[in-house]
Amino acid sequence: MNEQNPTTLRMRLKFATSGPLAYVSVLDLGRLWERALRRAAIPLRYSLGFNPRPKLQFAAPLPTGCGSEADWLDIWLTEPREPAEIATALVGTLPPDLHVIEITWVPEDAPALSELMQAVTYRVLLQDVDVTELKAACATLLKEENVLRAKRGRRRHQHYDLRQLIETLNVTPALEPWTAALEMRLRAQAGATGRPDEVLSALGLADVPRRCTRTGLFLSSPADAPSP
Amino acid sequence: MESMTQNQLLNTNTQDPNSSLRRPIPWETIETLLHRVQKPGRYVGGEFNAIHKPWDSVTTRICLAFPDLYDLGMSNFALQILYDILNRREDILAERTYLPAPDMIAAMRQENMPLYALESYRPVAAFDILAISTAYEQLFTNTLELLDLAGLPIRATDRDARHPLIIGGGHGAFNPEPMCDFFDLFIIGEAEEVILELVERFSKTRTLPREAQLQTLLDIEGLYIPRFYDANYTAENTFAGIRPLLPKAPMPIKRRIVGTLPPTPIHQIVPNIETTHDRGVIEIQRGCTHGCRFCQAGIITRPVRERSAEEIIENVFAIAAATGYNEIGFLSLSSADHTEIETLLQTLQQQCSGLHLGFSLPSLRIDAFSVALAEGLAGSRKSGFTFAPEAATEALRRRINKEIHTEDLLTIAEEVFKRGWRTLKLYFMIGLPGETDEDVLAIADLAHELRRIGVRLGGRKTEIHVSISTFVPKPQTAFQWEAFADANTIARRQVLLFQNLRGRGFKVSWNKYPGTSIEALLTRGDRRLNAIIERAWQLGARFDAWDEWWNLEAWEQALTELAPESFGSVETLREVTMYRERSEDEIFPWDHLLSGVERRFLLQDSQRSRAGEFLSDCRGICHACGILRHYANQRGAEWRCPQPEGSKPATNQQTAGNEKQP
Repeated sequence: MNEQNPTTLRMRLKFATSGPLAYVSVLDLGRLWERALRRAAIPLRYSLGFNPRPKLQFAAPLPTGCGSEADWLDIWLTEPREPAEIATALVGTLPPDLHVIEITWVPEDAPALSELMQAVTYRVLLQDVDVTELKAACATLLKEENVLRAKRGRRRHQHYDLRQLIETLNVTPALEPWTAALEMRLRAQAGATGRPDEVLSALGLADVPRRCTRTGLFLSSPADAPSP
Repeated sequence: MESMTQNQLLNTNTQDPNSSLRRPIPWETIETLLHRVQKPGRYVGGEFNAIHKPWDSVTTRICLAFPDLYDLGMSNFALQILYDILNRREDILAERTYLPAPDMIAAMRQENMPLYALESYRPVAAFDILAISTAYEQLFTNTLELLDLAGLPIRATDRDARHPLIIGGGHGAFNPEPMCDFFDLFIIGEAEEVILELVERFSKTRTLPREAQLQTLLDIEGLYIPRFYDANYTAENTFAGIRPLLPKAPMPIKRRIVGTLPPTPIHQIVPNIETTHDRGVIEIQRGCTHGCRFCQAGIITRPVRERSAEEIIENVFAIAAATGYNEIGFLSLSSADHTEIETLLQTLQQQCSGLHLGFSLPSLRIDAFSVALAEGLAGSRKSGFTFAPEAATEALRRRINKEIHTEDLLTIAEEVFKRGWRTLKLYFMIGLPGETDEDVLAIADLAHELRRIGVRLGGRKTEIHVSISTFVPKPQTAFQWEAFADANTIARRQVLLFQNLRGRGFKVSWNKYPGTSIEALLTRGDRRLNAIIERAWQLGARFDAWDEWWNLEAWEQALTELAPESFGSVETLREVTMYRERSEDEIFPWDHLLSGVERRFLLQDSQRSRAGEFLSDCRGICHACGILRHYANQRGAEWRCPQPEGSKPATNQQTAGNEKQP
């Protein structure tokens, strides 16, 4: 646990989601956390104005359909709390598939987690995919100089280069009912964030049954960064 | 034959030919579909406060179904109440299911995956009872889709005791005839007590064939079991009545009510994804005393029963703590009528300051009191203020018994704009009985007048949103004798409105006529509609309330194919069912159901409507609708019915007060 200033009102929660909770959107996850923290009677700091929201900051939005083994959330309080107090208060108030792994103090003036984000790793378990063929497909993809893909939403007529966002791809066999595990490390910086479903589409695996889990977040400044 | 199969089933599941419909679906299997569909969070459960009981720890398993999307179904409070009541019992488990969106339905059908419940992932077919909401008519085709996706035969006569007992209930059950071939039974009225009586009795009949099981339920008040009745028709293809086929079958079937409102569910299920009404709910009042003649809910939820302010405040804090919601909605048909509403809101505002807990109050009246209440709730956040005058002229408002005068409405609108609201939403109906084109033009005039007031007091940003629905004469109301307006009339009146509500500051929305006419058909139809609904569903009709999914061609084709056989022609069917004004002695397909409000009263009120007479709010004076006569022995202290003239004051008030909370 970090030895930080215990009077800080900013806390960092490392958490994991799995099962059904992997299928909620990042907005849903924010709402879900707000409600869980309210049930736990954590003294959250709210914004001013006519639609007050609690101040919560995720490190990087978790894609819908993706669970996580290690995500971070910063919360701001109105009065100081020990990490252990928060952990105790959260017992019994979290939905079944949300787990808190670690709670630490963070200096109020520490940079936002999202500013420190460098890369994210994912593990995608796939069904009915041959390991050798997938290895070959990944090698081919990594040899490409550019992999242009359409952006989403309103900018869908524009393209971006997915290749620049892929740092590594690694394929291993997986246990039943899965056949292959694809580990990927993708860039995750403002305006340059790789999405695992885009990589799967580029590999021709858009329709393959899968289970996607975020396995780690990597931050730039080790001094302020929690250990992944 | 049937009971042998049933014994087999009881002895061992492995010999049951349907055993694949009984085991839970592995999570991994469900997961294989989820990347293909929009909003997969609808299909996974895992919500906070959902109740997971071991399957073998109970004697009766009930699946509660809302036959539309999770987003809507999770907002249905009736099912929340039943989930709470049923799961309080140690010998019962209740789970939930909803109809998946078309993309998920397609994926499930492709993989042969049956509809499952969100708690245990057990197929719906594995439950002992499947209770499906019949809250409104647009759920009817979805109900067939739900049964079929569950792997169940859709017709009751094709099912036996191996299948779940399929029960319906909700406001749509006040004319259950169009769906009577698909359900084993309907709960008529409030289900809180009768559902437990039903479970109790049903659990003792497991070894009987289905028909015999149903016979044992005949003496439970409030259950309508359609197979024990048959319907007759005249040579002119009109409906001629329903009669019981067994001496035990009750006639009429009297609506069940609860004398005292059930305790508010506190540990409400908190959805993981955003739903239509994403907030905690407290039913502060049931029933309504205004007597609007078009309103079915106002009749079939009588009498008015209030929850005390003290209990509501207690509930607010308990729900907030148990759910984490930052908003609590107060549910009622007319919130400002609650006798303690003002002190209730004041107390809550004092006690909740700093808690970031907001409240919403639906269905406010058009009066200064309601404006003050709304302002207290809104604070600085004034999105839009809603008025529901329903009709724009005095004469028409007399017909529908909506007692608001235009000058009062204008004064109150002034108050609304003065207090800072910039958007006024107005609800109107067209196609009302006795309506003329002038009445409709008056809607546009009123909207312009209101905008002028808004601009004067608040500036040119003032917006008037006019929402127009088409009147459907609902069963069990004073307007059940009235005609449904034809397509040409409605088209002409919609055009009149659009032409006169153009330009800056107006927004008009309306219900499309073809959809409303299907609603009218389904709400007024008799047993001959079952085959037509089934055929429309086969041809692809479902999600009838959804613009993007509903299928008019399927309905038109089903009518073309089947109307000649049962009505002579499509035109006759439409005329007989919808477009005809009825005479006093008309026999309706829902006459065998008694809401407690008597036909005699409704007919008098219909005559008052034609004479242009208001009938006052019945809080002050009892108009003898029939409720007090039929439910006198259930009267509790929180009823807002006055004592009928000449009667003794209720002697059981003290007792009723003490019974309030178990």
